[in-house]
Amino acid sequence: MYKFYLIIVFLFYSFIVNAGPFSDFKAGAELSEELTSSPTERRNTPNSDSLEQALLVLDPQNSDMWDYLQISLLGENSNVSFVEDVKVIMQDHVEEPHEVPLIVKLPNRLHNFQKLILIIENNPIQQVIALTPFKPIEALGMNVRLEDDSPVRAAILDNYGVWNIGSKMVFVSSPGGCSSPSCDPTVEVCEQGVVGKIAVKQYEREGEAERIKLKITHPMETGFVMNVDGDLIPEYYVNRIHVDDINGPIADIATYAALSSDPVILLDLPEKGQSIRVHVKDSQGLEFFSYNNNSM
Amino acid sequence: MIFFRITLYFIFLFYTYQSYSEFKYEIEIIEISDGTYVILGNNDALTSKNGGAISNTGFIVGKESVFIIDAGPSYIYASEVINKIRHISKLPIKYLLITHHHPDHSFGISKYKELGVEVIMSQSEITRYEKYGNRLLRQMKSLIGEEWFENTSIIQLDNTIYNFPFKIDLGGRIVEILYYKNGHSEGDLIVRDIYNKLVFVGDLVFNNRAPTIPHANITNWSNYIDQIYNDEWSLLVPGHGPLIYDKKKIFKTKRWINYINAIAKNAANKGLSPAEVFEEGIKAEFKEYKLYRETWLRDLPLLMKKYDE
Repeated sequence: MYKFYLIIVFLFYSFIVNAGPFSDFKAGAELSEELTSSPTERRNTPNSDSLEQALLVLDPQNSDMWDYLQISLLGENSNVSFVEDVKVIMQDHVEEPHEVPLIVKLPNRLHNFQKLILIIENNPIQQVIALTPFKPIEALGMNVRLEDDSPVRAAILDNYGVWNIGSKMVFVSSPGGCSSPSCDPTVEVCEQGVVGKIAVKQYEREGEAERIKLKITHPMETGFVMNVDGDLIPEYYVNRIHVDDINGPIADIATYAALSSDPVILLDLPEKGQSIRVHVKDSQGLEFFSYNNNSM
Repeated sequence: MIFFRITLYFIFLFYTYQSYSEFKYEIEIIEISDGTYVILGNNDALTSKNGGAISNTGFIVGKESVFIIDAGPSYIYASEVINKIRHISKLPIKYLLITHHHPDHSFGISKYKELGVEVIMSQSEITRYEKYGNRLLRQMKSLIGEEWFENTSIIQLDNTIYNFPFKIDLGGRIVEILYYKNGHSEGDLIVRDIYNKLVFVGDLVFNNRAPTIPHANITNWSNYIDQIYNDEWSLLVPGHGPLIYDKKKIFKTKRWINYINAIAKNAANKGLSPAEVFEEGIKAEFKEYKLYRETWLRDLPLLMKKYDE
């Protein structure tokens, strides 16, 4: 007789477990322009509760990661100040995590700075870039990979030795910007560009000011994505971008695979650059130039 | 002892019923005129709840055969639609027209092919369906659940070349098929039921919802909307959203695509980051569109890239 009880209990249990086949559903993160006619709603959009939570996470006091990040990226005895006037501008809610555009705008007092580091706290690759300027820079833009919901922080070292940190909380509706392929060669034609092709564009801003936009064709492999055979594709990324003009260097940027494939970098300068030149190195030691390099 | 068996039986029934009903589409057929029917999609994003049935399906019953407009998102959907049609008409389903290749309109094809239905689709959309279909199917599965796509497959279609426009006689009912090249997609088809002054326009018109533009040529699309406006019809079935009786409503689609296009073009010319454009926000008028935010965030960078090259 008790066997029947067991069966009933078992059935009930399996019923509960199966109650919602999607209750624990977590989709992969391959979204592309091909998947059309509807954006996705895999996660709820932020509501007032989740935004409140986000504010909490944004406060470094509540972040598990921050202390470690501060020591490892900004230095053991670094002096930090969380400020309002460093603006990290990006969308609150991300649909396509492989390529998330952002721009960091600096206040006047920080146009002359020592170093800028962009950090995605909750990401397998946390440091995105570290920029050393040789001239005043007003804003810096790029495209990044986001694995999951995370605070994004721009840390700017000023001339007094203080890191000024601006933060932004970002929600990712389909996680996996670092660990899922943005193009899967098993089922589609991935049109790989020529690695190392560099496009430089200059745009006028108000007055004499200008914006430089660099686009580098590069796969920027994170080392977390599997290939067809289930093996990890080794990391392979641009690790240095050097920008100068005829008057000398403008910026030297150390870059990491948290930048999207075919990375785009925007630099806002208060003055127009004269014949901008870009020199790029990648993690396999290849070098690329936006100009004819006679020394080669 | 018998009591337990009965309990068991009922639990079993309940259990199977539950798991079955999870993957059932809610199909409601509306007769919009004599012999012409539509099944309105859920007009939401693709979710595990709606199983991808977000676009509108239609069918026209003549005296000799049945003509279907769009196959819906899956084999299961198509099967359920066919079952429902069988309650209305036993005539053979002879034609299936696919307005364009997007999965919510085309993935039911495999069911119709089993029945030997003639599939009418433009050449460019057949190419896209065959080339990207498997990838899209995989994405759909991971997005809303494998279960919805049981038996759904991407099949090889006959390369019948049609000379658009042309007419088909369903027996006392004549439908006209028109081709709109490089508009919302590379080759959208629309269907006119001339006698009843009805038109099925696929995704050339969205109602109550932000139109999506990944394969669009905005200038052409915008012109096509004007053409559709000038055509004679009293009822229009859009690709997504409720039926349109008021002709002016179709301009909502046009306003959106022209707006996003102008913003993207201007931003690309100025070298802006999409992040800066998002920061600017979107005109209040467009916030009334369903899914405006998701569509805006996804489509604007794509368009900007197009203008950047």
